[in-house]
Amino acid sequence: MPHDRKFRFGVMVPRAESAHEFCETARQAEDLGYSTLFVPDHFVDHPLAPLPALATAAAVTTELRVGPLVLGNDYKHPVVLAREAATLDLLSNGRLELGLGAGWMTADYEKAGLTRDSAGVRIARLAESITVLKGLFADGPFTFHGQHYTINELDGHPKPVQRPHPPFLIGGGAPKVLGLAAREAQIIGVNANLRSGEGESSDAANSLAPARTDEKLAAVRDAAGDHFDDLEIQTLVGFVHFTDDASSIADVMAGGFGVSPKDALDAPVTLVGTENEMIELLETRRARWQMSYHVIPREAMVQFAPVLAKLART
Amino acid sequence: MAKPFRFGVQCGPVASGSEFGARVRAIEASGYSTLFVPDHFIDQQLSPMVALAAAAEATTTLRVGTLVLGNDYRHPAAVAKEAATIDLLSDGRIELGIGAGWMTSDYDALDLVYDSPGTRIARLAEAIAVIKGCWSPGAFSFSGEHYTIAAYDATPKPVQEPHPPVLVGGGGRKVLSLAGREADIAGINPNLRAGALTADAVQSSLADLTAQKIEWVREAAGERFDEIELQIRYFLTAVTDDRRGLAEALAPAYGLTADEALESGVALVGTVDEICDQLVQRRDEWGVSYVIIGDDNVEAFAPVVARLAGT
Repeated sequence: MPHDRKFRFGVMVPRAESAHEFCETARQAEDLGYSTLFVPDHFVDHPLAPLPALATAAAVTTELRVGPLVLGNDYKHPVVLAREAATLDLLSNGRLELGLGAGWMTADYEKAGLTRDSAGVRIARLAESITVLKGLFADGPFTFHGQHYTINELDGHPKPVQRPHPPFLIGGGAPKVLGLAAREAQIIGVNANLRSGEGESSDAANSLAPARTDEKLAAVRDAAGDHFDDLEIQTLVGFVHFTDDASSIADVMAGGFGVSPKDALDAPVTLVGTENEMIELLETRRARWQMSYHVIPREAMVQFAPVLAKLART
Repeated sequence: MAKPFRFGVQCGPVASGSEFGARVRAIEASGYSTLFVPDHFIDQQLSPMVALAAAAEATTTLRVGTLVLGNDYRHPAAVAKEAATIDLLSDGRIELGIGAGWMTSDYDALDLVYDSPGTRIARLAEAIAVIKGCWSPGAFSFSGEHYTIAAYDATPKPVQEPHPPVLVGGGGRKVLSLAGREADIAGINPNLRAGALTADAVQSSLADLTAQKIEWVREAAGERFDEIELQIRYFLTAVTDDRRGLAEALAPAYGLTADEALESGVALVGTVDEICDQLVQRRDEWGVSYVIIGDDNVEAFAPVVARLAGT
């Protein structure tokens, strides 16, 4: 079914000082009209473990959807993950969006003593993992003999509430993983190219320029074929800043990331300007990239609410 | 010195989130201390860490625990982070149960190598060191046979000081010695070397063998033995007027006499009075004060809980 391209918004919550603060954040996100609460998955710098935190958020809300943004596939076996994800979908009454990526942050692998294979191997493993997850979510026993995982006649339980399975959100910034996303996922996370293993690298920043984002969407479109219209296009907006003077901020960003000021403002991961300018930027991005699903950092959640109120479900 | 009684319930499958919420609230209302969720890849069981987080939000004082995580199924750094997250978001209510992994069907499901008990227990020992290291203040490094951790300052840190209670369960000498050295709660279980709850496993829970298991914990624990809470998960439980009749019906399947079954460390059968007397007697003899039953008996055992919990 073609996606309606209506706007919706998520909020990214990587940390909490207390149970009270986290639960209040989840309730407030729901009250403000956010569609989804996301928690990232890293061993370093992001202090909440996603799946228990999402179970908590779902338990204190009624409509809010919840998702990891995104699980690093290498950190858990897909048989373990399938059960955890299905349990979360069951206990939240069908509110999970299953974000999954190949794993990229070098520090995660180093700290935990895991081998960080080449991008090709990690993405091949992610592809197998998606097959395993879908197989275990489906009815009846599932068998799979892959390069990385072997499953023998396993009937995954519990089954998720959403059928045939919770929406898969697959994110990445390189053609290979975006192609995989286009073929397998319902929601495509269009992100920086993180091949360097660091989020704050100039390579990652350059990969966010508007022209490069055009290329990413072309890769998604190529891989999806006729099915492209069914896909929801999402991005994580890392930087939201309300100001009457966007051009000054653009100059600073441009210097910091080594891109032109115009590219800094038009990149899908920044939202800088007045409310009206932000609305215009988001409309432009939807027209250019079909990007209708934007994830806002926790710090900007309240201030961004008026923009959300004007755009959500339009 | 005898510890106060407390009671826990091991949760079985549920059909929906609302059923789960209602069940855990009923468990809390009946005076149980703790909801436990197992960790296996067969049948309809919930995944423990997700279920515990949901249970904690549906309740206010109920503690939540794993009974027990199979260590081989996840990386200990991931376990430490998830447990600390639950501890933070539940205001300090998690008890982290972890064992070496034993059920062969789990290893088949995950296509994992089922190593010898010695290897699995050595890996569990390393995992406990990693988990405690992750929970401690500051950066932690570990260079073991099975895990390597490189100057990792894990977050969040748990709320409970110095860390959430670690529950190590098992039925063999090696794992119970590990419990004696490292655990806050020692689970005295059948010996599951066969990989399933066989007659052999149940026979390993005869009264004198249960006493032997507790002795293994004591020897390894040394002076800290008095700080360890001893726990039994009773698999054969019934509130009944016909204690003997039930035992006579059930015992032969496990190759036991009725008396052997009734006195064993897996059975808790009788009237409320008989069960209470038996629990007091076992606490006197064995020191076992933490009593776990299945969730089909929550209501039937509520009078036992009402009489003994906290005493």
